[in-house]
Amino acid sequence: MGRYIIRRLLQMIPVFIGATFLIFVMVYALGDPVGALFGDRAPDPATAARLRAEFNLDKPLYQQYLLYMRDIFTGDFGTAFNGRPVTELMADAFPVSFRLMLVALAFEIVFGIVLGVVSGLRRGRAVDTTVLMFTLVVIAIPTFVLGTTLQFFLGVELAWIDPAVSPDARFSELIVPGLILAMVSLAYVTRLTRTSVVENLRADYIRTAVAKGLPRLRVTVRHLLRNSLIPVVTYLGADIGTLMAGAIVTERIFNIQGVGYQLFQGIVRQNSPTVVGFVTVLVLIFLLANLLVDLGYAVLDPRIRYA
Amino acid sequence: MSQQTERAAAPLLQVRDLRIEFRTRDGIARAVNGVSYTVEAGETLAVLGESGSGKSVTAQAVMGILDMPPGRITGGRILFRGRDLLAMAEEERRKIRGDRIAMIFQDALSSLNPVLSVGYQLAEMFRVHRGMSRGEARARAVELMDRVRIPAARERVNDYPHQFSGGMRQRIMIAMALALEPDLIIADEPTTALDVTVQAQVMDLLAELRREYRMGLILITHDLGVVADVADRIAVMYAGRVIENAPVADLYASPAHPYTKGLLDSVPRLDHKGGELYAIKGLPPSLMAIPSGCPFHPRCPQAQDICRTDRPPLYPVGPGRTSACHFWKETLDAASAADLAR
Repeated sequence: MGRYIIRRLLQMIPVFIGATFLIFVMVYALGDPVGALFGDRAPDPATAARLRAEFNLDKPLYQQYLLYMRDIFTGDFGTAFNGRPVTELMADAFPVSFRLMLVALAFEIVFGIVLGVVSGLRRGRAVDTTVLMFTLVVIAIPTFVLGTTLQFFLGVELAWIDPAVSPDARFSELIVPGLILAMVSLAYVTRLTRTSVVENLRADYIRTAVAKGLPRLRVTVRHLLRNSLIPVVTYLGADIGTLMAGAIVTERIFNIQGVGYQLFQGIVRQNSPTVVGFVTVLVLIFLLANLLVDLGYAVLDPRIRYA
Repeated sequence: MSQQTERAAAPLLQVRDLRIEFRTRDGIARAVNGVSYTVEAGETLAVLGESGSGKSVTAQAVMGILDMPPGRITGGRILFRGRDLLAMAEEERRKIRGDRIAMIFQDALSSLNPVLSVGYQLAEMFRVHRGMSRGEARARAVELMDRVRIPAARERVNDYPHQFSGGMRQRIMIAMALALEPDLIIADEPTTALDVTVQAQVMDLLAELRREYRMGLILITHDLGVVADVADRIAVMYAGRVIENAPVADLYASPAHPYTKGLLDSVPRLDHKGGELYAIKGLPPSLMAIPSGCPFHPRCPQAQDICRTDRPPLYPVGPGRTSACHFWKETLDAASAADLAR
């Protein structure tokens, strides 16, 4: 197990380098960060040249990348458009997105799995058909439509919630945004759980469990669920990264100053250090989440052993 | 007579005119069409038949694990110690399942839960049916594994099914069925998925433990060799019916149904080495369209007009013997003659 983890961590290095280099190339090579600093005005050539030298933009791309990586490993992610260090922005944004992710994940786990299990056990009945319809509708409606609609009704018309989340982004404020963020994944979790339950219901070991005279609840929870949830947990784990990074739309709608919000600002203002810095950290989160999923897989399914 | 003594006098298991059908997209498949058989306490009944003869479906109905739907029990009774299992409330029935009637399945790898340790799966029997504590139940699980001669049971109790060999897994299945010392065990082709060398070991173990615990056993199989060694009686099934029911020695000596005779003749024999293997011509009938009259008539070498029109009842052909053939007498005589000539 220990050797497996070390090997996986080592494998992350080339993935990390490749991913960050691609981001770096795209952001730095395609945009003009110095020009962007001046907005619509044409920059003074002398100042522009000075800035280019200061930010190493006059050097070849690979050197820029190496210098940038060196800075990163000394904890320097550069400066954001508003003059604050990118690391400060991260310290503010990541905890907010993390809380939002937790709320969304809770919705996925509770509602996704419950709906999936219920519809799987009642396959072909009215409950099952209704749940399937619901998941289709949720998948079909874009997040911004659902988000703004809910925001309007709950926030403006009924005034049950604040339409905008405060900079503190407390858990209580994140319930509705978290639900919106979770919606699409929730639908997928429901469908995945349902399929898995239906498949495992036909398994021989479920027949054995019934033949042992176990009560129905025990057959369902101990024997059916334990097996059915293996693919679902894998999906949920991989979704953590997506929820952290993919909240751009939700965070924009509810004015949540998290990762998605900062990334959006960085892109709009062509602030390369912000974009590259945030994406770099997100790549790390993705890699770690995937490692955790693979390790969790071995815990859930004893047939898988890593050596 | 009081109800108690009446029950004690009743056979262990009586299946009476059981009828089961499956509703499928293509129509209704009549899997079981009036099966009757009896198992006395401590007796071994072998149920013999090709796939699709309804032998497993009948057993699943006895066990109460038939998939309903698509399956449907349309008639008959299943009496366990005189009480009708089909008329019982599900909760009452559940308590009998695993405790008084237990089942051994064919493929132990897929029949054991892959994500739970074998110790847990064995201990579950004691915890659910006997309310034992975790530790107590675990200790009993180790005892059981010892009982079915799994080496180093104490060390292996926390292992998972995939870590055992095929033979060891089937021993665990047997241990699970024996856990609560049931009155009746149903073994559905318990050795089919095993290597030939292991088959004999597992079968011997099952027979030995059955004797020791004095349990009734229904052995579902298509392996005539296995049957001869362990069974007391044989019920031969065809197209969802029992077509011959006889003590094992009588049936082997002189079958009273052409189908049984065909089955016996199709066993490869050393003294016929080099000769062609005998095979019953034709295929088992579709359960959607079972032939009129005797369902075996399209494949029967001695079929007459009456076989196409009249369904043969189970004729009594001797002490404790029945046969569903209009010409059981001729079949029996021919078999005896052949036996004498040999």
